[in-house]
Amino acid sequence: MEIFANFSAGLLTVLQPQTLLYCFIGVFLGTFIGVLPGIGSMAAIAMILPLSFYLEPTVAIVMIAGVYYGAEYGGSIASILMNIPGTPSSSITCIDGYPMARQGRAGVALFITSIASFGGGIIGMVVMAVLSPGLAKLALQFGPAEYFSVIFLGLIAASAVSNGGALRGIAMVMAGLMLSTVGIDLTTGDLRFTLGVPELRDGVHLVIVAMGLFGVGELIASIKANQSGRGRQEIDYTKFYPNRREWRASFGPIWRGGLIGSFFGALPGTGQTVASAVGYAVEKKVSKNKDQFGKGAVEGVAVPESANNSATQTAFIPTLTLGVPGSASMAMVIGALMIHGITPGPRILTEHTELFWGLVASFLVGNIMLLVLNIPLIGMWVRLLQIPYKLMYPAIIVLICIGVYSLNNNVFDIWMTLLFGIAGYLMRLYRFEPAPLLIGFVLGPMMEEQLRRALLLSRGDAMVFLERPISGGLLTVSALILAYGLWTTLRNSRRTKTTQTHNKTSSNTGASS
Amino acid sequence: MTLSLTRRALMALTSAAVFALPAGHAMAEPGAWSDEPVRIVVTFPPGGTSDLVARLLAKHLDENFGQKAVVDNRPGAAGTVAADFVADQDADGTTLMIANNAPFTIAPTQFEELPYAPMNDFTHVAYIGASAPGLFVKPDSGITTVSEFVEAAKANSISYGSSGVGSISHILGEAVDASLHVETLHIPYQGSAPAIQDFRAGVLDTFYDMVAQNSDMIEDGEAVAIAIAASARFPGMPEVPTFKEQGFDIVIENWVGLTGPAGIDPEIAAKIHETTLAVLALPEVATTLNDLGITHQPLSTEEFTGFVETQIDVWKPLITAAGVKGK
Repeated sequence: MEIFANFSAGLLTVLQPQTLLYCFIGVFLGTFIGVLPGIGSMAAIAMILPLSFYLEPTVAIVMIAGVYYGAEYGGSIASILMNIPGTPSSSITCIDGYPMARQGRAGVALFITSIASFGGGIIGMVVMAVLSPGLAKLALQFGPAEYFSVIFLGLIAASAVSNGGALRGIAMVMAGLMLSTVGIDLTTGDLRFTLGVPELRDGVHLVIVAMGLFGVGELIASIKANQSGRGRQEIDYTKFYPNRREWRASFGPIWRGGLIGSFFGALPGTGQTVASAVGYAVEKKVSKNKDQFGKGAVEGVAVPESANNSATQTAFIPTLTLGVPGSASMAMVIGALMIHGITPGPRILTEHTELFWGLVASFLVGNIMLLVLNIPLIGMWVRLLQIPYKLMYPAIIVLICIGVYSLNNNVFDIWMTLLFGIAGYLMRLYRFEPAPLLIGFVLGPMMEEQLRRALLLSRGDAMVFLERPISGGLLTVSALILAYGLWTTLRNSRRTKTTQTHNKTSSNTGASS
Repeated sequence: MTLSLTRRALMALTSAAVFALPAGHAMAEPGAWSDEPVRIVVTFPPGGTSDLVARLLAKHLDENFGQKAVVDNRPGAAGTVAADFVADQDADGTTLMIANNAPFTIAPTQFEELPYAPMNDFTHVAYIGASAPGLFVKPDSGITTVSEFVEAAKANSISYGSSGVGSISHILGEAVDASLHVETLHIPYQGSAPAIQDFRAGVLDTFYDMVAQNSDMIEDGEAVAIAIAASARFPGMPEVPTFKEQGFDIVIENWVGLTGPAGIDPEIAAKIHETTLAVLALPEVATTLNDLGITHQPLSTEEFTGFVETQIDVWKPLITAAGVKGK
């Protein structure tokens, strides 16, 4: 079959010593930078971009891709250990990963992350190899109305991940959406809610929101927790590797996450974040282990990791075959190719066969490298948790400040992060989940843009969202999920009323996590 | 409404330059001008034309002239963040920026208050070149000339995609509307790639974008460029006619140059200027610039300064017409 011939040719390219070396440099550097709070794949690619000019195009793109998914993987390490998501999609991993780490099961969480990322990566790769032309066409089926609807679905899914019930989740998503309207209005160029502060012209940066709500908020919360006697953790090596039950529990989520991720990854822009959120929401519905979600369920780590890693691979499909970058990182990939005189577009499959298949094959090699590199390192990462808090937290604060400052080289951003940190702490106190807020914040501008664009094109006719079949279908699914979520919330709240006295003690102890 | 922009002024300046150059200032030898690495600030995130030009420049300054250079992307607020930053740096030639329309010709009109003065806070050292956008339509639309476009636009409502509000493609769209007395529907995108995706998907009727960057689409028969907003056809794609030769005087070009803080010592400025021109003359660089659709003209520092100054006034009516006058 042609695919196998192409894939073998690609594999041969990747297995050349030079390509292997740069693939390794890519994934290693990506993982390392991804672990640092506030510095994600974008910064990592920007750092390595100049080096890529001196390399063959295929080697260059393999290295950059390695940095990209390496950083996504590294971001999940920080999510699990420190509750600091490197990327919006790994904020979903925080929901169950961090509780696992607090229970002394960080090793298991990291192990499952490695396996799930690997599984998701391979699923994404296979999908990319087999369906690239088809998926590229799928993206072309998506006009503004469809994008609006798919993002809407993502937001509904994001509100469903919340453990405080659908209503709290929707409130957080709405808060995120509102926050995302700060800055220049993309359709008219007007300034909105900037309060005369020039730094707010471009809105609030995602990293500031993520670092503040998760990182700083967590630090403030744990100061209090530690005063009340919570010391450092002992490592229990029997809890280091997943047991048989945990293995079995993560198998299904990896598959589902990988397939969901592959689909959403091919849609430029919405990709990983929607994939993780939808994956998590679906898993929470189908899992037999529903009650454990949010309290440290392995499924809750496996699903978003598998989904976002497969979406990371398939995100290359629109980037390469349509020339449409879904993120700033992908825009840099395009920049790197253009430096070498390669214009991404439909022709890349035929004119640069070697490059395309080399890249696909490098996903296999790179993901194996990540696995081999990271499983031995799990012990080291877990030991990080043994560093006394009085040393670790100041170090994290310094890293967050550096990360945030490096965005625009502006001190204002550090103050903003502190502000969001306080907000994050308050949200923890009142048990609001920060992940839906972050996802609303990320998807908000895209949703607004597509909404307004769709309405402009339809000359103000809102029926366009229901009349177009794909869009109408997605909205129907969203409406059903929403109705179901609200119904269960109502039912649960009725139930809690009757058992309120019984639950009171347990809810108090859970407040700090 | 007559709209004649950069190239005409440029031609005049260039022809003057050929004779005036030797008398103007002492010729400097190309070479390194600082022991420290030079920081080249870019107004946009990595990946765009300005960024590619900066990286090309940085690479060859080091390789061919031993001048270490690093690219520093400081995107934000339509390029004004980067310009504001550069204006505050030491004028010793170690901080330069890729100047372009965004902070120097569009922002002065778009924003009521700017944290910098586009002329007095900068030394505009070297002109690099300019590329021009064009009007793309669908092959099956049957439109092949600007006149046919006018007829179609008057008969039906036509939509066009741009790279964003206040972007050069939006301003061209508004200029075309004003000049041809038609009313088209503007749909802004973030960058040209998503606009082109929607054009391909059949969502948009037309779009404006840099002509050279879409040569593949033209060759594949997915889009027809009916006119380029340059004063002369782009040598890399001679089959695309200009608006001008079809009787519509619309010229809008996207220029890039090398600019530093005000008060760079004239000798250092001359050295930077000569070295930049020497880099641009390298065959490899010339090829890449051509791929990017950039036409280079060797302007002196004085001519480039004069050029930037005139651009603000030239663009002003267009930006106002485009309705992106800042709040």
